[in-house]
Amino acid sequence: MISSELETRELITLGGDGVLLRATYHKTTGKARNDATALHKRMGVAFLNPLSTPRALIGDSAVYWASSFAARGYPSFRLDLPGLGDTFGEVPNELITFINDGGYAAIVSSKIKELTDSFGLKGAVIYGHCAGGTTAVYAAAECKECKGLILTAPYFNAANLLTPKLSPQMVDWARRSKVGELLRATYTRMRELRKKPGKGTLPGNAHFGLLSHWKKVLSNGLPILILKSAEPAALGSSKLRSSNFDYLGYIASFAVRSNQITVKVIEGTDHSFANRAGRAAVRQYTEAWLSEYFPQESADAPLLQHQSLQASGKLVS
Amino acid sequence: MSESLQTARLPHSILDERPGYFPVDGASLYTVLHQVENPVARILLVGPFASERHTSYRPWIQWARYLAARRIEALRYDYRGVGESTGVFEEMTFACWIDDVERLAAWLRKRGEDVPLILHGLELGGLLAARNFHNGQGDALILWSAPVNANKVLRSTLQRWIGPQQLLKPEDERRPASYYFRLLDEGQSVEVDGYEWPAELWRQSLNFELPAAMIPPNNPTDFYRRPVQIVTLGKNAAPLVLGGLLTGFEEGKDFCWLFAPNYDWITSSLGIPSEAS
Repeated sequence: MISSELETRELITLGGDGVLLRATYHKTTGKARNDATALHKRMGVAFLNPLSTPRALIGDSAVYWASSFAARGYPSFRLDLPGLGDTFGEVPNELITFINDGGYAAIVSSKIKELTDSFGLKGAVIYGHCAGGTTAVYAAAECKECKGLILTAPYFNAANLLTPKLSPQMVDWARRSKVGELLRATYTRMRELRKKPGKGTLPGNAHFGLLSHWKKVLSNGLPILILKSAEPAALGSSKLRSSNFDYLGYIASFAVRSNQITVKVIEGTDHSFANRAGRAAVRQYTEAWLSEYFPQESADAPLLQHQSLQASGKLVS
Repeated sequence: MSESLQTARLPHSILDERPGYFPVDGASLYTVLHQVENPVARILLVGPFASERHTSYRPWIQWARYLAARRIEALRYDYRGVGESTGVFEEMTFACWIDDVERLAAWLRKRGEDVPLILHGLELGGLLAARNFHNGQGDALILWSAPVNANKVLRSTLQRWIGPQQLLKPEDERRPASYYFRLLDEGQSVEVDGYEWPAELWRQSLNFELPAAMIPPNNPTDFYRRPVQIVTLGKNAAPLVLGGLLTGFEEGKDFCWLFAPNYDWITSSLGIPSEAS
């Protein structure tokens, strides 16, 4: 009576390297499945957890996006990293620090390879929200199967450097909550305003390790889509707004071509992009970006290869 | 990935966690069965309302694993229209969610050995579990922070959501919680935390109540002649319940202080053997 598979989704377990990773696979559907030439491989999209939020993300928005991308011909996968969601594992006491140090990068890199092998994909685009974006950047720098990045609400400073005197819980809260988002933005601006950095000089609270991985990803030529929500209205001071260091401008200076980084600002949403406006805009911008950088040529290949691997027992289901 | 995470040996029970889709009318419920050989009891875990799902997810799973390690087979699931389950949230009613509990409980009871079936609900899930227990399902009931009616859950969820929204919106677009309550009262839907709340769900919530026999000073165990454990969780139980601004985000938090006495209550009230671990 209970099945691991629906017409459009399948619950999968990636078992390579002795780490059982629980995930949901969204199959390509409709026209995307039927207009295939079936000879070419496809590009997949893999979603990561932002901090400890399960793989559906806030408001189940990742379910919506993954279903949408799959319907457009991009097989999509929502992963629970070790210790998060349904995947077993210990969670470090300071999860944010673990992530900011690239703690999940190796396992993500390994699982992206496993996904592309198992499903016959020509590569995968990693979708990372907030701290998930940090993991995505670290993983992309090491993973040759990663062909692009979609990052929503990425950050560039180090929480543990930013607020060394605060408790980990406080830092953690400030990193993920909506009120915390506001306070964080204000605090960051105040610090940067006081320091008055020279043009192009990184602020002291910049996450230098993360930025060096950004440079590596950019030098590898990966296309990157960055989606940001508009600034919180309560940050009314133009002095505060103007003092914010232009990290996007900084990283763009390392791009190897002019169209490598695409940045879109989404109005009418918040940090999670989970409301109607946020979901629709993320979907629209991402689908446009995917079709520009990764036009799909086939739909059935990954499904067929996945089925044959499942039959051969290489994929736990 | 740290050495400890990468090389940690997986306990056998992890391989016995079976995710799947359980068919119901027009949708499929996402379920995870924490399968146990020769169980001494079975438990259906009915989790909290949509918005609270993701914050309480980890300790809720830890509870399922804690029980499975002690030979109590656990089934947890996502409400229809929420999380990994399919279905359209805007079309959901309490009747749908009650029906889901009923079907899952019936399925779990028929899985094999004739062992006691426990219904355990958290927050709104407490109301769903309690209503099914009231209708005769289950040999025991555990409620963690069940409200007296569903409207209290919806109200407090909306009030928590509205605060940050006030800060994020321009001044002329800010509205108090009462504005959204009025919209719902007038039959309009309101989007909260990415979920479109239909006015009908709001209307139903006003009369979706905890059975009177479970409200103090009544003694539900005497009334039903089946064991009932009602626990009000404090802020120290966050993120199982929301505990203010600075609590509730401790992923590595140890909940043994909560799990152990509830497990002891199960074994003693049902007269089943207690496992060391």
